[in-house]
Amino acid sequence: MTLVDFPAIAVATVTGWGLGSVLQIPARKSKPAAWASWLLMTGATALLAWFLASYWIALERPPLRTLGETRLWYATLIPVVGYLVEYRWKIGWLKYYCMGLATLFLGINLMNPDVFQKALMPALQSVWFVPHVVVYLVAYVLLAASSVAGWHNLWLEYRGKGSKLSESMSHYLALLGFVLLTFGLVFGALWAKEAWGHYWTWDPKETWAFISWLAYLGYLHLVARKTDVKVLQWYLGLAFLVLLVCWFGVNYLPSAQNSVHTYSGAS
Amino acid sequence: MQTSKSPVTPTAPSEGFGAAALFTLAAIVAGFAIELLTSGSGISIPRWPANGLFLSAFVSAIAAVGFGFREHRLVGWLGGIPVGLSLIVGMALLSFVGGVLPQDPAPAGSMVALFRLNGMFSSWPFAFVTLLFLFNLGLSLLWKTVPFRMSNLQFMLFHGGFWIALACGLAGTADLQRLIIPLYEGKESDVAYEMPTERPVRIPFSIYLKDFQIDEYVPQFALYDPATDQVIAEKAGAVPEVRKGARAVWPGIASATVTDFRPDALPDREGNPLPANGHKGVPFAKVRVEVPGQAPVEQWINGGGPEIRPQFLPVGNYFVVIAPGAPKAFRSNVMIRSSEGGHRAAVLEVNKPFDVLGWKLYQMGYDEKAGRWSTMSLVEAVNDPWLPAVYVGFFMIMAGNLLFFWKGIKKMEAA
Ligand code: HEM
Repeated sequence: MTLVDFPAIAVATVTGWGLGSVLQIPARKSKPAAWASWLLMTGATALLAWFLASYWIALERPPLRTLGETRLWYATLIPVVGYLVEYRWKIGWLKYYCMGLATLFLGINLMNPDVFQKALMPALQSVWFVPHVVVYLVAYVLLAASSVAGWHNLWLEYRGKGSKLSESMSHYLALLGFVLLTFGLVFGALWAKEAWGHYWTWDPKETWAFISWLAYLGYLHLVARKTDVKVLQWYLGLAFLVLLVCWFGVNYLPSAQNSVHTYSGAS
Repeated sequence: MQTSKSPVTPTAPSEGFGAAALFTLAAIVAGFAIELLTSGSGISIPRWPANGLFLSAFVSAIAAVGFGFREHRLVGWLGGIPVGLSLIVGMALLSFVGGVLPQDPAPAGSMVALFRLNGMFSSWPFAFVTLLFLFNLGLSLLWKTVPFRMSNLQFMLFHGGFWIALACGLAGTADLQRLIIPLYEGKESDVAYEMPTERPVRIPFSIYLKDFQIDEYVPQFALYDPATDQVIAEKAGAVPEVRKGARAVWPGIASATVTDFRPDALPDREGNPLPANGHKGVPFAKVRVEVPGQAPVEQWINGGGPEIRPQFLPVGNYFVVIAPGAPKAFRSNVMIRSSEGGHRAAVLEVNKPFDVLGWKLYQMGYDEKAGRWSTMSLVEAVNDPWLPAVYVGFFMIMAGNLLFFWKGIKKMEAA
């Protein structure tokens, strides 16, 4: 599979998610409709996962190098979080947000086609590459979901329909996300030592990873202080903005302009 | 999650936050005031043994305060969550400034330089917040560790690991040495340079560079438009690799097929490639170009090198060109001789540092103008005596993190 096949795959995936979502309406009353709906939604995600796997094979390197490649992972993984939340807590609404976000990512990729590029600079050829990036990816996915859940909880609250269950759901998503964020940070430091000689250099990307980590650290300490749940939902909703800066906003900041990003010397 | 042992057990979550925020703000303002008074010269951490002594004194002070005045309201507050949270926010804000503004030299006398906003991570406000942070964290650690309870293990590992990594990492910056060693093929050197001062330093071993090698990815070929200085997109959205039989289609312009490929060759007088036997050869490709309505053209092209001019194949206003593959790996085959008399052969490669006499050697770079033909190799030598302590911190964080994950999952099941 190469990028030539991507538009067809993307359209098929989004169609599967869309049809599956529509079928959720009759699914409340009809078992076969429910089956068909879940088959379509999970099948669409499986199709995307299969594309990702075969793209990995065709590239002869992990597809984790460009923003476009990481968006493919998000589009694959975010809906999975939605499905798991429904499975675990019987909360159905999160999956629509998740599939919506994933559709947005696929759309961005369709509008900015990546170039098929096998080359992987030497610094990225490391056993740390896949664990470091994948742990971060999953952390971002969980934290994105916790942020969406935070906003939705505020809305439910506003309409007087707030629920303990869905508030604890957003909390656990954030908690798991934080654990992975911490692993990602430490893995990154250990890798940096092997690749560039030092584990921490306050490079803009590192600084922003640290700020994002502090943001969620603040959340956990607010929880430890039994802060009002509504405040916590606001916090989760907004904290994701910090992650967004870290994820791709960094490139547009003044600090990145003369950033001799540490590996340019080696490329 | 509410603490049971801490002397201050506030009932209202907001209790103590106002004072804590003010306290943090005061520390930041004091730090900036010092910067302004010293024209933004920042702090310089003392080297061994002074940094070690300072750290021991700091730990003793935490222990003395933590054990001696545990029941005191003020001390309880200093080691409590409101202060911790305010400091986390303070550190995040200072890091935010450091993460937005370039951390590079700024004109002396400018606002940025006077407040050291361009050197945030070695500034007084950052140092004050960090010290208070370590004080707060140290107190809470003490109280969670003594008396020891298994249920606090996760807290100890996570917070303790963070404390050790942060404290030792910062104290150790003064003893961290990062030197650059330029090496030339066939020559031996024991001189390294400090950056950015370029001050030469003798290192306790010498390195002889036998051979520097670069592996490249397969070269690629493309249709180049000199008018826009861009490459025309190929039908499949890829830049095709050069290999026998490879084909590229540029819709509406032309198509090309590689009919022959010599990865490492030099041209004879007619421009035909002959094997270079490893000496300054370049990749040659024989390309057959078909333009609709014209007879096909077939010709050798190459990307050029130090001794050869590149050859392209013109197609209308465009050219079919070969682009060399990106570097895939580069390595230095070296012989390391230590002052203690031993010889050791080593291969230095990116992501594979080599240990010698407490130093780690890294393959860093090469003469990029010469590219594949570089006979110069840049090696970085790093000596970080505090690294083991920092790694202990990292591994404690990860162990605590695993426990946190496990506890979180168990609570989630119960929820
Ligand atoms: C990095 C700087 C940190 C600081 C300055 C800090 C500070 C504090 C302080 C002062 C307390 C109150 C302790 C007490 O009242 O006994 C606390 C509690 C807590 N901290 Fe941190 N902490 C930090 C990092 C972390 C991290 C990385 C985690 C990640 C899990 C964490 C999780 C917690 C939890 C769960 C509590 C509540 C413990 C309890 O009440 O049982 N902290 N922290």
